[in-house]
Amino acid sequence: MRYVLRRLGLLVLTLWAAVTLNFVIPRLMPGSPTDAAIAKLAQNGPVTPAVQAAIEAQLGVPGGSWWNQYVDYLGNVLTLDFGVSYTFFPQQVSGLVAGALPWTLIMVGLVTVLAFVLGTLIGVGAAWRRGTWVDSLPTVGGSFLSAFPYFWTALLIVFFLGYVAGWFPTSGAYSATATPNLSWQFLGDALYHAALPAATILLTSLGGWILGMRNAMINTLGEDYVTFAEANGLRGRTVAVRYAARNAILPNLTGFGMALGGVVGGSLLVEQVFAYPGVGYLLYNAVTNQDFPLMQALFLMITVSVLVANFLVDILYGILDPRTRR
Amino acid sequence: MSLLEIQDLSVVYEPRGAAPTLAVKDVSLTLEQGEFVGLVGESGSGKSTLGFAVTRLHKPPARIAAGRIVFDGVDVAQLDAEELRVQRRGGFAMVLQSGMNALNPVRTVGNHFTDVFAAHGHVPTAARRRRATELLDKVQLPSTVLDRYPGELSGGMRQRVSIALALSLEPRLMVFDEPTTALDVLVQHAVMDTIRELQAAEGFTAVLISHDLGVVLESAQRVVVMHDGEVVEDGAARQVFEAPAHPYTQMLLSHYADPRAEVVELPGLERRAPAVTEPGAAPASAPAAGTVPAAGTPATGRRAARDAIVVDHVSKVYPPPRRGEQPVTAVDDVSFRLEPGAAMALVGQSGSGKSTIAKMVTGVERPTSGTVTFGDLQVDRLRRHQLKRLHTDVQMVFQDPYSALNPLHTVEYTLTRPVENYTGLRGEAARERVLGLLEKVGLTPVEQFAAKLPHQLSGGQRQRVVIARALASDPQVLIADEPVSMLDVSLRAGVLALLEELRAETGVSLLYITHDLLSARVITDRIMVLHHGRVVESGGTAQVLRFPEDEYTTRLLDAIPQPARRFGGVA
Repeated sequence: MRYVLRRLGLLVLTLWAAVTLNFVIPRLMPGSPTDAAIAKLAQNGPVTPAVQAAIEAQLGVPGGSWWNQYVDYLGNVLTLDFGVSYTFFPQQVSGLVAGALPWTLIMVGLVTVLAFVLGTLIGVGAAWRRGTWVDSLPTVGGSFLSAFPYFWTALLIVFFLGYVAGWFPTSGAYSATATPNLSWQFLGDALYHAALPAATILLTSLGGWILGMRNAMINTLGEDYVTFAEANGLRGRTVAVRYAARNAILPNLTGFGMALGGVVGGSLLVEQVFAYPGVGYLLYNAVTNQDFPLMQALFLMITVSVLVANFLVDILYGILDPRTRR
Repeated sequence: MSLLEIQDLSVVYEPRGAAPTLAVKDVSLTLEQGEFVGLVGESGSGKSTLGFAVTRLHKPPARIAAGRIVFDGVDVAQLDAEELRVQRRGGFAMVLQSGMNALNPVRTVGNHFTDVFAAHGHVPTAARRRRATELLDKVQLPSTVLDRYPGELSGGMRQRVSIALALSLEPRLMVFDEPTTALDVLVQHAVMDTIRELQAAEGFTAVLISHDLGVVLESAQRVVVMHDGEVVEDGAARQVFEAPAHPYTQMLLSHYADPRAEVVELPGLERRAPAVTEPGAAPASAPAAGTVPAAGTPATGRRAARDAIVVDHVSKVYPPPRRGEQPVTAVDDVSFRLEPGAAMALVGQSGSGKSTIAKMVTGVERPTSGTVTFGDLQVDRLRRHQLKRLHTDVQMVFQDPYSALNPLHTVEYTLTRPVENYTGLRGEAARERVLGLLEKVGLTPVEQFAAKLPHQLSGGQRQRVVIARALASDPQVLIADEPVSMLDVSLRAGVLALLEELRAETGVSLLYITHDLLSARVITDRIMVLHHGRVVESGGTAQVLRFPEDEYTTRLLDAIPQPARRFGGVA
């Protein structure tokens, strides 16, 4: 319990640091969104102070001392008020993010978890039956698939399964005619649309998990406690799962934490190829349109999700490995 | 019928892409019920391979090439996996070398017992905890251990837990593969006592595999000596001790001696007790405590001024390992003087602070209080660039020759680096110096050894390279941290003799750190016994070891296996 509390304290501290950095860094950069807008306007003629004030008011550029700004900013972050988007003016940034987040979380998140679980299981099997086809097929196949660049696999899948065969929709998260609700019909439609991007992520990340788990497990299979368990006549399954795999999974959890943290920001290319309305897609739009409030909110979200995912993995580590608990 | 009959057993290693090697050659051996057999040999003798094959725990690339292993009338070499698994209860059990790692770090000790009971179903669920407690009691552990994780137990406790686990199978044959090698001297002794008592009480047949003939002779009724995959001697322990038939056994035995004896002799090394005073009587001409006089014949000085290392009231306190715990005092108010050309031993079990002292003398660690000086250098205050000056004169020989050499570099490269670094010699001159160093440590023909890579050398040869490297800067002081503990007994004497010789020839002084009192006796003049960071006894090596005054020194001496004590003869 003390372990959890200590981790929680650490999480709060790093969260605060991340939020503060997010406040400080844009203020240290030269120039401001107002300058950019004024420079554009200046090409058509002189800009009066009144126009400048209007632009600042419109963009919500904060005034006052840094300290006041900071307090306001903290309050805004806590109430999830990130201001207005420049690109999708006058929509609220929080609304845009809230609209994109579920798609990414559910599609990318579930697939990441699925890839980890599947890859770990296959890796355990491969190591336990080392040298047989159970080993060679997934290891060779896995390395082959993960050697492909992310977007290339995505393009191939879109082209063959989407355009040529026409089995799956090639873009969007649901049919143009559907309205998001919780009916079975809509869920089926969403799942159908998620199939191709999900398959891409699964295919490209599975190989890494398989190889990682297999190699870690081959190491633990050589440990004395595994030999000793065999010497004591434990059943093969017990030795494989409770002795070898249970220890082999520990180093892989760290990688899993990083993958989970990257869920929110890391699906940019796949979402781009499949025009999937998730966070990656939104981030791409924000960056190409210099939409500072949106970018700031998204970066903050990505940081926070990495921290939270690592916190969760730390807790999981504490449960799985008694040595970290002390 | 005999319990175990091994008939013409051969075990071959068939690594992929390399020539197969026969590790066990046509071994035949019969074990009777209730026997305690010691299986002795040096590394590579095939003793562990035999042990693993007999319990069917050998893994590829090892393969039983020929022969039968008949256990209680059944050929275990022919059993399939499930038959083998089932017969492990009431059959043969194994205790592994490194008890440290024989337990699953993420399962409690209690769960280990539960796993064994569940796998064989021989203890009903309700009785499991009681049975586990009984078993732990047999190895002298409290039942509270059940709820602990292996990481929370000491090495000795872990090895006791594995013995209890092996015992829970109610085996008729127990194979102990170097059960105490990884443990501390005093703990080793206690664990061996437990094994002997258990064997007598439970009546199982025991096979004790060890590289240490001393340990085996002290425990076993019968001794089997293996060399190069073959059994070269097989006889009652007393007979092997008193009249070894095979030259190899004779050679092994010649490396055992009692450090308490008046004259201690190892092949190539002899140390007589100088005028030793009986305990109680004041030492006639004993130097002041803690000072080390120069060896008998002062070496002809290479350098005009030679310096002593002076350690003055040094303590080292490490911060607590975890918050809320006590700081760790590794070294507690230690003072000594190592005169030029002298040899002094620092002995004690692990955790006694002897290696920490070495680190402070070499400037790796700084003392918390007290001073270390070498000539005009104040070692505890040195800045990084000044360390080079210190290391020109003070060099270190490490414990593990297998990891102290970079496997990718030839011996010549390994030696050229320090030669260039410390002497400034380049090119042909540096090469000449390297060859000279090899000559000095007895690696001849030098040209051949210079071109070799570490894996082409034996452990003893590697340790000689490590020593040559330490000599590259022509140092005044060598600090040797357990330089022979990783080597086979037959190689130890050679390395020790080399250190002794170097001291006589070059006048280098030696700080010898060890837990092995016998080797301390043969190559040092003075000794300091450390316990929990404090010096509990110091003086002339022969004096202290022959007539120890501190109870801890006596315990260390008693922990050394002494077959002579058991059989009453002279070693």
